[in-house]
Amino acid sequence: MHELSLAWDVIEMISHEAEERRLKAIYEIRIEIGLISGVEADTFSSVLDMIRGKTILEQARIDIIRTPGKGRCSTCNLEFLMQDLFTLCPRCGSIPSSILSGKEFRVLSLQAD
Amino acid sequence: MCETCGCHQPREIELNRDILSENNRIAEHNRGFFKEKKILCFNMVSSPGSGKTTLLEKTITAMNHDEKLFVIEGDQQTTMDADRIEKAGAPAIQINTGSGCHLDAHMIHEALEKMEVKDHSILFIENVGNLVCPALFDLGEKKRVLMISVTEGDDKPLKYPYMFSSSHLCLINKIDLLPYVEFDIEKFKEYALIVNPDLKFIPVSAKTGDGLEKWTNFIYDLRSTISSDL
Repeated sequence: MHELSLAWDVIEMISHEAEERRLKAIYEIRIEIGLISGVEADTFSSVLDMIRGKTILEQARIDIIRTPGKGRCSTCNLEFLMQDLFTLCPRCGSIPSSILSGKEFRVLSLQAD
Repeated sequence: MCETCGCHQPREIELNRDILSENNRIAEHNRGFFKEKKILCFNMVSSPGSGKTTLLEKTITAMNHDEKLFVIEGDQQTTMDADRIEKAGAPAIQINTGSGCHLDAHMIHEALEKMEVKDHSILFIENVGNLVCPALFDLGEKKRVLMISVTEGDDKPLKYPYMFSSSHLCLINKIDLLPYVEFDIEKFKEYALIVNPDLKFIPVSAKTGDGLEKWTNFIYDLRSTISSDL
């Protein structure tokens, strides 16, 4: 379950950020998790909740934004939604030449003092 | 502070920072180290029991006479794999991840401080047996080599697509067992190529040595491009 070590990475990143910017409290953290990023958002939220006690994120509201997977067809150029990494073009059945979105896994913003 | 009524309004801070950025930073650092020392590094990934350690033992026996080989072993517990590798004739260091399910770039950085990997050598990192978690973690390797054994089933590319999409080469191991299991190599390749159209395949049997030469040739070819690169 890599979500646990990723949750630690978030806490470390934000603790470091809080120190640099001399933040005393974080009220909200917005995290973007793409639907085909390889990170399970529910698992990630649960483990983050388990480990954030006594850290700078203890009281923060965790806002998780899910970005849909989108690819461009390698044959007909159609942009289409990808539920997983092996979704084929709904028009011609080809594989996508590129993934346009859905791989994101990042901290977008904080509300803090 | 709100200008109208004086109520408390927190600051909005935009970060837009990749959560894997710290791992990726250290991975790039490792990659720079390998490039400078002309070390060819492979990250070997698979399910537990697919035969990575056996293949490495055979690879060491086949290549030890003309290449300097080193191995970093990743397992949750025990030094059994590092012991096997040392016995086969290559220096090895064991990383025990405890409850951790994958190696990360920082663990490799620390291992490189403990083990002196010689210039112009080949380094194999045997990742923790797991088809899910190691996929997201760049270690700084030149190539990611995925091993699948035919006993695992030909549907694995669709069940574990992230590992397939992030690998460069797929070794299909235990082909000596093909007559006894229902594994359709062509169907397997078809599934894998949907997820990763650039993936290459080498069928091998670490046990009988079948296909081993194609694998060692793949390593020698990369070795020569790296030497001429630098």
